[in-house]
Amino acid sequence: MSTIDVTIREILDAHARLPESVSNLGDDDDLYDAGLSSHASVNVMLALEDAFDIEFPDSYLRKGTFESVTAIRQSLESLGVTAAPG
Amino acid sequence: MSIVIGIDIQPIDEVESSVREFGSRYTRRLFTDQEVDSCGNTPLAAASGLAARFAAKEAVLKILDTSVSVPSWKDIEVMRTPGGRPEIILRGEAAKLALSQGVSKISLSLSHGGGVATAAVVAQISDPLGKENS
Repeated sequence: MSTIDVTIREILDAHARLPESVSNLGDDDDLYDAGLSSHASVNVMLALEDAFDIEFPDSYLRKGTFESVTAIRQSLESLGVTAAPG
Repeated sequence: MSIVIGIDIQPIDEVESSVREFGSRYTRRLFTDQEVDSCGNTPLAAASGLAARFAAKEAVLKILDTSVSVPSWKDIEVMRTPGGRPEIILRGEAAKLALSQGVSKISLSLSHGGGVATAAVVAQISDPLGKENS
């Protein structure tokens, strides 16, 4: 598991308000099916911004951006994130 | 013409928690200055109003087809008429989507109690862009 994925999963556990630990979910599992609400996804977004020192453009504020660990990692990578914060 | 309904519910404590943790970064991403100013000065006082407004934005998104584009949260604004009734104002991408989909005359009702805020919207849908059914 990449360091980016570890940080993403820590943030999901802290902010996504899922009924089960994200450790029980695979990278491609649908987080909305697992219980992620639109409001919780905003908290996840803000926590990701803090952790990776980025800002998601409005164009990223769509369901697809946060629908899985893989989707979040790809969104971060598209914003220039190459590694987890040191 | 047809009628569509959108409804949403939002736990108030989740909004209060977000305001406390992320402060203005949270409110700026979701709400217009007018919406924030109209909800109170403290996180606790503001939370129920902000939760109702978030529910309203979600309810509106449920009546729009967002498969093509997704409006910014602030493109959907809750305002009060001079008589105090809540109303929805659409701007930017939300207004474009509504126009292209024939959505008009959106009515809004807000409520909160028991730790949750709810919003219901009812809208008329006419033939988009003047197209007639064959």
